[in-house]
Amino acid sequence: MRPEIRALQEAMAREGYIADDAIATALLLAGDLQKPLLVEGDAGVGKTEIAKVLARLRSTELIRLQCYEGLDVSTALYEWNYPRQMLRVRMAEREGQDATQMEQAVFGRSYLLERPLLRAISRREGPAVLLVDEVDRADEAFEAFLLEVLSDFQVTIPELGTIRAEHVPYVILTSNCTREIGDALRRRCLYLHVDHPSLEKEVAILTARVPGAKKALALQIGRFLRALRARRLMRRPGVAESIDWAQALVRLHVDELDLVSVRTTLGCIVKDRRDQHDLDEAELARLVAEARQEEALAS
Amino acid sequence: MSRDLIVHLARFAGALRAGGVRVSTGDEVDALRALLLSDLGDPEDVRLSLRCSLKVRPRDERTFEALFARYWLGGEAPARARPAAEHGPGNPRPPPNPLGGEAPADGEREIEVPEGEELGSSREALLKRKHFDRCDERDLAEIERLMARLAERLATRKGRRLAPVHGRGRPDPRRSLRRALATGGEVISFARRDHPVETPRLVVICDTSGSMEAHGRFLLAFARSLKRVAKQTEVFAFNTELVRITQLLAGPEERVLGALSAAVPDWSGGTRIGESLEAFASRHLSELVDSRTVVVVFSDGLERGDPELLADALRRIQARARRLIWLNPLLSDPRYEPTARGMAAALPFVDELAPAHDLASLERLLPHLRS
Repeated sequence: MRPEIRALQEAMAREGYIADDAIATALLLAGDLQKPLLVEGDAGVGKTEIAKVLARLRSTELIRLQCYEGLDVSTALYEWNYPRQMLRVRMAEREGQDATQMEQAVFGRSYLLERPLLRAISRREGPAVLLVDEVDRADEAFEAFLLEVLSDFQVTIPELGTIRAEHVPYVILTSNCTREIGDALRRRCLYLHVDHPSLEKEVAILTARVPGAKKALALQIGRFLRALRARRLMRRPGVAESIDWAQALVRLHVDELDLVSVRTTLGCIVKDRRDQHDLDEAELARLVAEARQEEALAS
Repeated sequence: MSRDLIVHLARFAGALRAGGVRVSTGDEVDALRALLLSDLGDPEDVRLSLRCSLKVRPRDERTFEALFARYWLGGEAPARARPAAEHGPGNPRPPPNPLGGEAPADGEREIEVPEGEELGSSREALLKRKHFDRCDERDLAEIERLMARLAERLATRKGRRLAPVHGRGRPDPRRSLRRALATGGEVISFARRDHPVETPRLVVICDTSGSMEAHGRFLLAFARSLKRVAKQTEVFAFNTELVRITQLLAGPEERVLGALSAAVPDWSGGTRIGESLEAFASRHLSELVDSRTVVVVFSDGLERGDPELLADALRRIQARARRLIWLNPLLSDPRYEPTARGMAAALPFVDELAPAHDLASLERLLPHLRS
């Protein structure tokens, strides 16, 4: 492995993010090639966290655009500050300015409200980290609109002209795969698929993120979740859930998984009525035994 | 910049394409830039860099790994690539097909040209009434074209954004103010905007079991044409297991059927309608179906499993969807009564039970798909 990748992994680990080689390589490449990085994977595998950690590492601002259906230009890019424009027009009237002058004044930069995309591009202090979260939730027309911003890092505002990026931001797009992302957008990005972590990685994450968690407990949690994810569930718990669960268990001073503690804290990881119903006592006992049995074998 | 490396990368990309992975020239440029930054002595670094820059998705991972091992670890390492002069820039020799087979070059399609016969209106009318299970290969090619035309009638592509409208709607401050400038800053009337009519959102679930075999291909072709015009269409196939095939349908024509039978286990095998719909309801209902979605089930309802399970799954789907339409090819038979166990259990939860044995019946379906 290249030393840069190792260094990046270590730096991310210091920020509490355990990145495997694939994640570190992708991040490094995205920075070097100045291309957006499209991160796909199940909910809760730590896609959004990548952007947050990156912003902390580069000690820069994290600009987040949460996508949803019907997201449009005025929420994503810019909007004119209408009340201020109105006031200005009224004042100009009183002073008797002519229309051309007034229009120039009213459609100036100072009357522009910057929304996330524009702010990421026009940031002067250095490249920002732009997180376009859950891009699969936005509709396809919005994807098409992202193309201009993400390939040329420029934005065209009819009243002002084209604004070019002062610094090319680090762009991270995440998708939960509820909808296939179009090829045009995909081609402009580098691609990273994040899977549920391996047991070792999950244990490393838990010990890094939950200060009170002992190695043994983290191992048991990791095994329990691995067994749980292998089942047919409506919602498969991600790393976010296992961190919550570890925190809950530590808070309750649980050092080892047992049926009672699992049953009472099940809401941290199984968040669906049907799934909870399917996991009856016998099934839970089996999962707990599985999580603990390997312990006995290992020692 | 090493020419050998470029040639080798191009060959590798060619092999990926032959293996069914979509790789564009832009991807290759990215890959080359990534390689130049990576440590070529470290295979792991090369692998990860290529995977990221060629945008390899999970479903293509296997092909990628196999070809990577072949091209970058095994016999054809970059250092041993033949000298570039042998096939200089003006005279590029096609790289040897690494898969050994004689796969046709990408983009080369077999287009079936019907002999001498133009698609006339009388023939068209005949085809529309021709039972699917009595159609042969040539009819099929023509019917697929007809279907594409039918589906185009759905192409009322309208966005979900706010668009300017006259009359009713929400005030649009931006345009209002723009207009006000003409009257010295006095807003005389508000410009308004509103949501335009929505596009149909469809979920199509096709039965591909043995009893549906004669119809399955046509219905899939129909689903494919729907997908082309109504972008937000998701297609599933099932017999004993449910498989999401939306992405497979996007490929070139001749590859689709092969890919489908590879992806759907037990293609033309037995049916487990209840379990398959139950799987759909638990895995995909919340993300794919909302109150604007029309769900279409193509099946003959010959269920061998538990009808209770089927009824429960349909109840859940119907509760969430705008409409639940069941298309049953057996309905064309006037003697048929939907009394098969599965169909009888399904009836209370189906908004519309319609025949689907010929093109004319599918045509009648279109108005129901518009949301």
